[in-house]
Amino acid sequence: MDAVEKANTERQRRWVKDKKVGEGTYAVVYQGREASTGRKVAIKKIKVGQFKDGLDMSAIREVKFLRELKHQNVIELLDVFSSKTNLNLVLEFLDSDLEMIIKDRALVFLPADIKSWMAMTFRGLEFCHRNHVLHRDLKPNNLLIASNGELKIADFGLARDFADPGYKMTCQVITRWYRPPELLFGSRYYSSAVDIWSVGCIFAELMLRIPYLPGESDMDQLKTIFRALGTPTEEEWPGHTKLPDYVPVGQFQKFPMRDLFTAASADTLNLLSKCMIYEPRKRISAREALTHPYFFALPNPTFPSKLPKCSTHFSARPLDEVDGNVQMNSTGPGVKARSLKRKLTSSDDGSEGRNRSIARRLDFSKHTPGS
Amino acid sequence: MSLRPGVGGWLQGKTVRKGGGLSTSNTRSSTPQGVQSTSSTIFGGGVKDASGRTSEYFVRRRHSMDDQCPVCKSDRYLNPKLRLLVSSCYHKMCESCIDRLFTLGPAPCPICSKILRKLAFTPQTFEDLSVEKEVAVRRRIAKEFNKRRDDFPDLRAYNDYLEEVEDITFNLINEVDMPQTEARIAAYRAENAALIELNIQREEAYAQTLREQEDAEKRDREQRATQLRREEEEEREEREKDKREIIDKLETSDKNAAKLIAKSRANALKRTSARVASTTTVVHSNARLLRTRAAKDIPDVPHVPFKDNYYGYEDLYQLRPAGYEDFFSEAVRKDREGIMRAGGYRIEEAWDRALRDAVADLDLPPLMGLAPKTTSTMDSSGDVIMAEA
Repeated sequence: MDAVEKANTERQRRWVKDKKVGEGTYAVVYQGREASTGRKVAIKKIKVGQFKDGLDMSAIREVKFLRELKHQNVIELLDVFSSKTNLNLVLEFLDSDLEMIIKDRALVFLPADIKSWMAMTFRGLEFCHRNHVLHRDLKPNNLLIASNGELKIADFGLARDFADPGYKMTCQVITRWYRPPELLFGSRYYSSAVDIWSVGCIFAELMLRIPYLPGESDMDQLKTIFRALGTPTEEEWPGHTKLPDYVPVGQFQKFPMRDLFTAASADTLNLLSKCMIYEPRKRISAREALTHPYFFALPNPTFPSKLPKCSTHFSARPLDEVDGNVQMNSTGPGVKARSLKRKLTSSDDGSEGRNRSIARRLDFSKHTPGS
Repeated sequence: MSLRPGVGGWLQGKTVRKGGGLSTSNTRSSTPQGVQSTSSTIFGGGVKDASGRTSEYFVRRRHSMDDQCPVCKSDRYLNPKLRLLVSSCYHKMCESCIDRLFTLGPAPCPICSKILRKLAFTPQTFEDLSVEKEVAVRRRIAKEFNKRRDDFPDLRAYNDYLEEVEDITFNLINEVDMPQTEARIAAYRAENAALIELNIQREEAYAQTLREQEDAEKRDREQRATQLRREEEEEREEREKDKREIIDKLETSDKNAAKLIAKSRANALKRTSARVASTTTVVHSNARLLRTRAAKDIPDVPHVPFKDNYYGYEDLYQLRPAGYEDFFSEAVRKDREGIMRAGGYRIEEAWDRALRDAVADLDLPPLMGLAPKTTSTMDSSGDVIMAEA
């Protein structure tokens, strides 16, 4: 046994697998603990043997970036070891995700709660961007919630570093509903602004309690966006007609956000609209967002441990296929105790969805205080 | 439901089929799908819905095998795409029969021998064909027999008129004394030509005012909404201002804090009570209730933008505003097509990253004296360099 193997077995011994909590095409997730302290962890076993051309790309990406990123609002990769032919990632154990919380109809969100989640998201994202990492798959179920209420960004399976001028990047990233228009138009050179768009969608979703821009196909996604925010003009977004996959999808009127977000304060809408600016260069950056007046206005953001939590405990269920992502079809290595991937054709956005969304809206405005 | 685009250029109308299922599978291009189109213009078959489309009666039971073409006896079992249309003499036949019989011009109906044209076939709106016919007849009659109550000296005369209209309608529907009835209609038309015209105009004017009224109401509603929004905004701003004032006062003055707060509270209360705010108070009390959930032990601290002590070496270097001439970014800087600009790519970020990494690694500011000569932001070919914007 050589030194490397020895080191590996030593590491392996530090962690104990307890039970399986989820399984996807590319990985199995176990709940486990640290042998010496009993601290709960999630162990993600990547099935290596299946790949003809080596290790799954998303696993490489996850290890590559999480090894370097250490922040309160980014999931922590505690260890990596191999067992037989498998690669094991030891990650922080987080019991729920933001999507479960959004979907739990029993919970009531105060504006302060939303502010707190947004602040934590932006803080985590700012940290990634500061280190030149694009996340490229932000959505509520990749924002995990720790037991103390802290929100952590997870699933770096689509992440990459940016700002290297020589390389094209793929535009087939980010789950469709959270994908910005420049990616839908096939831009190969983009920036951290793509993540900000996703955060904007999540922000809106927190207020509406339903996905803000649920497109049914890539084409429909553009239409959905334009229907909500108006078709961009050349002035609003110079050069967008030159993007590789540009197609005119019709003219839609700009429609005041106030009509949809009836209970939101002016600051809230200002920040939201800055996250959803068409021109990526004008879109607010994570750093600027954190100093936006919205966060300083009263009410103060809720202290994390007091944020609404899911009462229901997770149960083992299989991870569904990633939807919305055409190319990157891994389940994404973010550790989810329970994965509730969205079905694009779920009844949520079917014909009855309209009635339901109204009910939710009424529901929401009732809970929102005036100040 | 599916709205199918027209196949031929002669297709202008739109037909929505009820109880679709079969409609999607219908992809023939040569068969006369288009018969539906001109229907309403020819003899007014079909009933239009609010959006002006004709909704067609279509067999809801998708697998119904009962449908049979009375002419060729072909049924849904033999031809799953079977679609029956209605002639102007109210006889059903399938599309292929229509195609077969009427492509070469007007021909007699195989059932009643009335001369029919291909274009005069309509989709079926009602299950019962007699209803279909009655609707068409009444539509025709209503166009000409449009006198109003105030066109008559007394109620009796008006009732007599209505009786007559009903009589004519009945005759037309049941085809009783057709020549006499047609003669009566012609006589009426000749007699009342001016009045008919006038009433049509009146009708139009009425519809117009109705539309205008609706528009005005809509505008009004919108105006009210914006007004309300503005008021809310103002109110919010005022409250915010108050809060700031309290904090300022608490900070600067050395009076009793509780008194100061009480005083400004009283002021605020006066203002709000002056305003009529019945709805907002409801919202408020709700919010108070909800807030008690949160107001437990830990106070919510004000927002802190960054919780870590991040040092980005920003003080040790500065990006040159004119940009840099580096080999790697050449293609990006000459953004001929503008594709990088619109995607949001910034070359400054690459430069910043490179500089920052170098500075952080060496813990030294970059040398300033050895900078290569840089050109302006426009290069010789006139391409805009990414650094601007």
